[in-house]
Amino acid sequence: MQVLFERSGGFAGIPLTLTIDFANLSPDEATQLNRLIEQADFFNLPATTPSAAKPDRFQYRVTIEGGDRPHTVSVGETAAPDTLKPLLNWLVESARKQK
Amino acid sequence: MLHQRLQEWIHPQKQIQRRCICCILPPQMLDNLIQYGDEKNREWALTTLRISERFRGKRRAVGNVSFAISPGQKRRTIYDAKTSTSLPGVLVRGEGDPPSADQAVNEAYDGAGATYDLFRDVYERNSVDDRGLRLDATVHYGLRYENAFWDGNQMIYGDGDGQLFNRFTLAIDVIAHELAHGVNQHEADLDYQNEPGALNESFADVFGTLVKQRSLNQTVDQADWLIGVGILTSRVQGQALRSLKAPGTAYDDRILGKDPQPSHYANRYQGTSDDGGVHINSGIANHAFYLAAMAIGGYAWEKAGRIWYFALRDILRSKSTFQDAANATILIAEQLYGSHSDEQKAVRSAWQQVGVI
Repeated sequence: MQVLFERSGGFAGIPLTLTIDFANLSPDEATQLNRLIEQADFFNLPATTPSAAKPDRFQYRVTIEGGDRPHTVSVGETAAPDTLKPLLNWLVESARKQK
Repeated sequence: MLHQRLQEWIHPQKQIQRRCICCILPPQMLDNLIQYGDEKNREWALTTLRISERFRGKRRAVGNVSFAISPGQKRRTIYDAKTSTSLPGVLVRGEGDPPSADQAVNEAYDGAGATYDLFRDVYERNSVDDRGLRLDATVHYGLRYENAFWDGNQMIYGDGDGQLFNRFTLAIDVIAHELAHGVNQHEADLDYQNEPGALNESFADVFGTLVKQRSLNQTVDQADWLIGVGILTSRVQGQALRSLKAPGTAYDDRILGKDPQPSHYANRYQGTSDDGGVHINSGIANHAFYLAAMAIGGYAWEKAGRIWYFALRDILRSKSTFQDAANATILIAEQLYGSHSDEQKAVRSAWQQVGVI
């Protein structure tokens, strides 16, 4: 299973991207990530959430594929549900570490 | 009263909206009540304003209108979120207070002041909303938050991740950029998506750089025309976040990638990221402003800035495109400086050079 992450927008407009393959994660990391995906109820989140775009805020796009069914969620920073935020934060931190 | 004439001529509806915000009392009367009325009058006038603001679907709250100081004065209030994301945070510096030991607080305070001054001294605008709005800013927002934004009511600044991004108050043009989003919200109210969004971003960069140039007393030849100098850390290969002079050249880094801004309409981004490339395609309109300002010469805020400001205030609307911005600025250049004037030729030529017309 793979997680594809992109954060775009923000003042700088510089995208932050990350691709995670579960095969390359430690068992602890895999457990942690699975828990965050579950907590977000990711596969039942709408693909897009209508919200007025806000100046200089971030845009997130998360795709999970290679499992039972692929799913992509695109959401603005202000419209992201609270249950999804821990997953987004985890992905941002992982993308930073990768840099 | 050029702008009034322009408004009546081009947008009779906007004229009505601007002059009669509640359609019961003329706004001047409400202003007078707020300024000179007794407490009851003021409260009533503010409630009326609040209702009409809600009706117009603009400012979500007028809750930050202060009763203590009359409009027409600079009123800055800086808060500290202490790395939380709850707003506004703890009050750390009000108008007239001595400098703080925290540089981010002072940068937010001084930057808001310089922005207020440009709009008041040069364009005769009374703060972000032209009604004396208090300028609120929150620093140290979020943990390693590598961003700054205007949330519809106030400015918000993150500290950066420390690895690639420094704190966002470091650059005065970033601060002015955020306040210019506020000005746009109260005027053209350009959508934050696709071409109107790229225009919205470009106006924010234009006024951002004008505040910086004015604070340094630079002519068009002396200015660096860069946005966000100092925001990228020394680990990054790059001098700034954007360049109006040469879009696409601000940074080229192993980790961050290359500045993606085009300077010509033919090379515009047409994908969906970044709200339809608002921080990417702004390069096209940014470069048009640069070219116009260079051709006109002198201090950019005096003529080119005035033309752009009047276009934002009096002509452009939420769905306006690059083409509309070109037409609006050419028209205003004619109104201000005459048909076939050097200024008008400079503006037309600028938009032609970036492929918009």
